[in-house]
Amino acid sequence: MKYLLFLLLFLLILGVVGVASNPSPGFAALSLVMVAGSGCSLLAGQGGYFLALILFLIYLGGMLVVFAYSVAFTGSDYVEGWGTRRISLAAAGYLLLVWGGGVILSTNLNEEFWTVGASFGEFVSLEYSLVGVAHLYMGGGWLLVAGAWALLLVLLAVLELVRGASRGAVRVV
Amino acid sequence: MSPYMLIILIFTLGLGTLITLSSSHWLIAWMGLELNTFAILPLMAQQHSPRAMEATIKYFIIQTTAATMLLFASVSNAWLSGQWEIQQMSHPTPLALITIALALKLGLAPMHAWFPEVLQGLNFSTGLILSTWQKLAPFSLLLQIPPTSSFLLITLGFISVLMGGWGGLNQTQLRKILGYSSIAHLGWMILIMQYAPPLTLLALTVYIVLTSSMFLTFLYNQATNINSLAISWTKTPMLTALTPLVLLSLGGLPPLTGFLPKWAILQELTKQGLTPVAALTALSALLSLYFYLRLSYATALTTPPNNLPATLPWRIIFKQPTTFLAVLITMSLSLLPLSPSVMAFFTF
Repeated sequence: MKYLLFLLLFLLILGVVGVASNPSPGFAALSLVMVAGSGCSLLAGQGGYFLALILFLIYLGGMLVVFAYSVAFTGSDYVEGWGTRRISLAAAGYLLLVWGGGVILSTNLNEEFWTVGASFGEFVSLEYSLVGVAHLYMGGGWLLVAGAWALLLVLLAVLELVRGASRGAVRVV
Repeated sequence: MSPYMLIILIFTLGLGTLITLSSSHWLIAWMGLELNTFAILPLMAQQHSPRAMEATIKYFIIQTTAATMLLFASVSNAWLSGQWEIQQMSHPTPLALITIALALKLGLAPMHAWFPEVLQGLNFSTGLILSTWQKLAPFSLLLQIPPTSSFLLITLGFISVLMGGWGGLNQTQLRKILGYSSIAHLGWMILIMQYAPPLTLLALTVYIVLTSSMFLTFLYNQATNINSLAISWTKTPMLTALTPLVLLSLGGLPPLTGFLPKWAILQELTKQGLTPVAALTALSALLSLYFYLRLSYATALTTPPNNLPATLPWRIIFKQPTTFLAVLITMSLSLLPLSPSVMAFFTF
């Protein structure tokens, strides 16, 4: 179990460094998958199963996929990744930064941890975010409508910004 | 733009501000601010020129950064104090961070550099919405949070008045001038916020009336720089006669309306024992007055060389409606004698 946790944390930090150091959006999105995957597994191990599932489904399976498709149109000839010396040096620098930050932060640890859902004895309660979403749908009322309107508006705003071949924003590119 | 889209965007602009104005929970306030940000983006990009797109992108990045800072500060406050009430914030660090985030949203110095550039890329009507309506929601939040570091608010206010005046001195483009004038007026509003919030509302309302008059005047004359303004006197000489007065009202000269908020703010500051701040701010307002005077000079006090046909537009009957502009100009010139009732209107 300890080794699994160590592996997940290692992949998390490696993925974050990969997102920060890769100039190509394809490689960065791949690192993002690694980050989200290991982060969600850690989360699920601590009892935050709902949040992990939502992240996988919506974040990775919805938003990241759309991002990857849009980015696929902007392919470049000379893609640089960790193979080039400049980027691998940058990645090593970020790893050093993380290690330094860890050294600094580990010197004043307090014992209070955040919980994703409280449990007492044999009673396992539901996760906070799950209860919150349920409340939003149950007693949210007009707030739910406002939230849905906000999502719809963002879609309409994006469509209006990129509308059409000659009237949209990307015409001038 | 399709009328359906226009209706949806304008409705959402109103909805977002109303949600923020009526919220007591930080997440709902943030949601209203985000609605406002997204709803105005297509309106800003209507012109499809690279300049308009640049302005849209800059606006989006700045507003999102400010909203993220706001969210971070409110989540930190929720962690530290256990609740999400706007009026019950108790920890100084999230309070300071929220003040700075809202200052970035409004365009207060020293976070003001984006505002004139964004305004320059927009047409006058969208710039008007940006300068007036989009200020209401962040101000409502600033007015509701508990008192924070007085040094922070006074610094934001005084530096804004100074930078608003100083930065506008070198401008010939009218939208950038209006942007710097907005920064200066917002500085006056922030200065008095912790001592007399009704005066902030008074300053905000008077500023909205004054700047709407100026935006609509420039829109009517289709003047985007001082040269175009100088030759626009032929379109409606009546408007040309009134524009310098509106500009002097913006500069805060009695007996025009713009004097009222400055007078009340200086009086309150001296009552609170901040006479040096009041004196320095009044002196900084002289910088703004100089470029308002320059605009008045160009509008009505000079006759630039022109050919004969260009001096005859006043003979044509224009179909542009000017009713709203007339009401605004009347209000911006003649409300000073009504000061007691105007101030009673805002006292709560």
